[in-house]
Amino acid sequence: MNWTSVRLIFFREVRDQLRDRRTLFMIAVLPLVLYPLLGMSMFQVAQFVREQPTRILVMGAAALPTEPALIEGDKFAPRLMGDPEKAVLTQLHISDEPLSQGLLSQATAQEEARRMVESGQYEAVVWVPPDFSTQLEAFRAELRRAANHSGSQTPLADETSVPSPAVFYSTAKEKSQLAYLRINRVLERWSQEIVRENLATTQTPPAAVKPFVVAEHDVATAGQRRAATWSKVLPFMLLIWALTGAFYPAIDLCAGEKERGTLETLLSSPAERGEIVWGKLLTVMVFSMATAVLNMFSLWTTGAIVMSHLPELGFPPPSAPLWLLIALVPMAALFSALCLALAALARSTKEGQYYLMPLLLVTMPLMMLPMAPGVELNLGNSLIPVTGVVLVLRNMLEGNYWQTLPFLAPVGLITLVCCLFSVRWAIDQFNSEKVLFREGERFDVGLWLRHLLRDREDTPTPTMAVFCGVLILIVNFFMSFALGEAGSENPVTIALMTQLVVIGTPALLMTIMLTRSPRQTLLLRLPVWTALPAAALLAVLAHPMANAINVIVQQLYPVSDSMQQALAEFLQRAPSKASLLLAIAVAPAIFEELAFRGFILSGFRHLGHKWRAIVLSSIFFGVAHGVFQQSIVATLVGIVIGYLAVQTGSLLPGVVYHFVHNSLALATAELSASSAADHPALRWLLNDDKSTGLAFSTSAMFLGTLGAAAILAWFSRLPCSPSPEESLQEALEHPQPQAAI
Amino acid sequence: MIHVRHLAKEYADLRRGRLVALAGITFHAAPGTIYGLLGPNGAGKTTALRILSTVLRPSGGTATVNGYDVLTQPTLVRQQLGFMSANTGVYDRMTAWEMVEYFGRLYGLAGDQLRERMEALFERLKMNDIRDTLGAKMSTGMKQKVSIARALVHDPPVLIFDEATSGLDVLVARALLNTVAELRDLGKCILFSTHIMREAEKLCDRIAIMHRGHILAEGSLDELCDMHHERDLEELFFHLISEHDAAQETVAAEA
Repeated sequence: MNWTSVRLIFFREVRDQLRDRRTLFMIAVLPLVLYPLLGMSMFQVAQFVREQPTRILVMGAAALPTEPALIEGDKFAPRLMGDPEKAVLTQLHISDEPLSQGLLSQATAQEEARRMVESGQYEAVVWVPPDFSTQLEAFRAELRRAANHSGSQTPLADETSVPSPAVFYSTAKEKSQLAYLRINRVLERWSQEIVRENLATTQTPPAAVKPFVVAEHDVATAGQRRAATWSKVLPFMLLIWALTGAFYPAIDLCAGEKERGTLETLLSSPAERGEIVWGKLLTVMVFSMATAVLNMFSLWTTGAIVMSHLPELGFPPPSAPLWLLIALVPMAALFSALCLALAALARSTKEGQYYLMPLLLVTMPLMMLPMAPGVELNLGNSLIPVTGVVLVLRNMLEGNYWQTLPFLAPVGLITLVCCLFSVRWAIDQFNSEKVLFREGERFDVGLWLRHLLRDREDTPTPTMAVFCGVLILIVNFFMSFALGEAGSENPVTIALMTQLVVIGTPALLMTIMLTRSPRQTLLLRLPVWTALPAAALLAVLAHPMANAINVIVQQLYPVSDSMQQALAEFLQRAPSKASLLLAIAVAPAIFEELAFRGFILSGFRHLGHKWRAIVLSSIFFGVAHGVFQQSIVATLVGIVIGYLAVQTGSLLPGVVYHFVHNSLALATAELSASSAADHPALRWLLNDDKSTGLAFSTSAMFLGTLGAAAILAWFSRLPCSPSPEESLQEALEHPQPQAAI
Repeated sequence: MIHVRHLAKEYADLRRGRLVALAGITFHAAPGTIYGLLGPNGAGKTTALRILSTVLRPSGGTATVNGYDVLTQPTLVRQQLGFMSANTGVYDRMTAWEMVEYFGRLYGLAGDQLRERMEALFERLKMNDIRDTLGAKMSTGMKQKVSIARALVHDPPVLIFDEATSGLDVLVARALLNTVAELRDLGKCILFSTHIMREAEKLCDRIAIMHRGHILAEGSLDELCDMHHERDLEELFFHLISEHDAAQETVAAEA
């Protein structure tokens, strides 16, 4: 990598973007103008947005008691209104005649009330039963009687005969809901007044019904409350700006160059693809950060004026700009790399615009996850890309510096790994002829299918590998629902069916239909015979470490009780140990190996890097396990098996490893039910730790890992046959000196 | 200087299946000569030149430029050549001077060496009046001049011109051809692709007639005429192409 070229490309691209009026407008002018304009229009609109008066009909007002009065004149009694100034917002229409004259029956009146709310004639209707007042009076007389004859044995009935007034409103209409809230408050106060009068009648002190009041103390200071609010809003806004700020320059720098015909000029210069990508990446990053900073600055300035009118929200903490700026750097880097890779894929700027939506669909949930209640910074969450940064930023804004400190390393590491992966992806796009010189061709499904069957290669392409992986995931998703309904079936049959239908069938069908050499694709070759016992031994020796990783993962991301129960049920309901072994060890060792180390790994080997192929196929292998905790462990196991497959050129060592690994996992699960003391022969191997379940002793783990490393070293010395792309990459990275004649 | 052996390139095409853009062509070009690739559109000229400029990778065969392999030493190959085609555009938002300077720096030139080289180039190509003109404001001829200056700035031993005169008016095209001839006289090895007979006749020391990924005939103009008993290049060209097409059709019919 020649950094002089990177610097040259970076400065050229920055200058080029700064000379583009559209970019300048989007990045510099728009944010500076937008927020003041928005603030201004907010004040303008606020003049028109006043609280709307609500029309309320009181039916049967004549039946209301005179003391305490609910209505005075044509309004609710002012003492019942919380804010007397808002009394004007409640327009009362009082109707009592039809009921008093008995012209309408109770049911008809209620039907009429319902109709009037539905038609929008009134926002709400209060219906007072015809005998409300008389029944209330009768109840009070009863109370007085009971109070006067306190020694008598006639108790009061639990329920009074006073009929309930009713409020008719519609939750489908906002104004109607508002009217209901207002009426409810008034009726509540009125009801309390009636209670007070009743208590007075019976000479009972008011404290009898409310002997104490709960005192509330909010220990948060005003500053902390403000920080808590802002810490949820600011990170999200910052990231949205960083993303949009990266997206448009990236499109111009890649798809725009293709469109203007300057990309080939640059590609034929001595600058390498990696240098071009880094130069462009730094440019996009600068514009992403500039957009975010300028937006923040403009919003801050405008906000200062608006906030002075909203004292309850107040200003964000003064250290906020610093933390936002620090968090912006890695996020801008990540978004820039993602945008650049996507933009390289696009043939034109128009096509590039289409990629914004998928990008948002992937990144938005990660940005919004921290806003969900209860999502806090812990090791598990800190390992989620984007989410981890947002959570760290939130904690910094809230001032929890010391609690955040331990998570900086994992968050930084994950973000760095994601950045590097995205940059690698972008460089791959720039290395791909198909991407750089893609021609516009009318897409025809029929032609495309014919092309797939007609122009088959010996082994699948990387795209086919991705498709196979995605197909397995989708079929798995739907099958899990279908099989969930058939829950009464034998669990072993279900597990076998899943292996066969979900994993085995797509891979085998795609191999037969889309490749010319199923033998080469599925690695159906005999390895050196020693590789088989070596793979079995490797699985045994690596098992304590695999078990330990499993325990750590479950501590980081605890498995839900329902999941654990389902697993335990599965183990219990299996008809026999042999059938369990068939479902958990034998079938996955065959079908999963055919799919993930066969079809998918063979496809990814065209990418030119064996480790990339191994990791990608393992990620699919992991995700296909469905349960998140299991996925992490499976991905790691997949990397080991993938390595065996690449080094031996055969599927068999992987099948053996997979079988032994799963069998041991099953055996460990069985042993977990007992304790180490029950197995004196295994005492040197096992730790009896009740808190984490069955675990291997440190010495077992140490010796096992050492042995496993030795066997892996042995595998690394096997003569592996690279794919043509891998050979080319090797030649490019380590050119033979004699090649220059 | 340029050695191409059995160079092949295949594409997967949705409609036509596996498309052979280059069917294993072989040729050699020496320093101080202009080697012409003459062929109709779709003959594989651009594909061959893109492989030589390392923008595309071959599916088979080898090619070396000044001793460096295009597949395994692409960066060194690009250092050796100046590439100009109808597809290598000029930056809209850069002036002629900035653009040539930028590429000069990418080729590792700097300081006085770069300035002197550029002054000489701008003088020779008569570009001083468009020095500060932005690419977006340039005419096709001006852009072509900038492209030539960009390809020549690092004084490469090998130059590749792919359909360089397409879209140019007669005056500009003539000036460009003169420049190419001058460069040959300076000892450069030049690959010049065109579909215009007149240009090939006037300019090229050796000509390869290409059609559908094959080289149908190769030699100096006189050699070609003698070999095929035809003095007129255009007639010779049509004759070879019709012969090849007829042979292909017979093979297809037999198959």
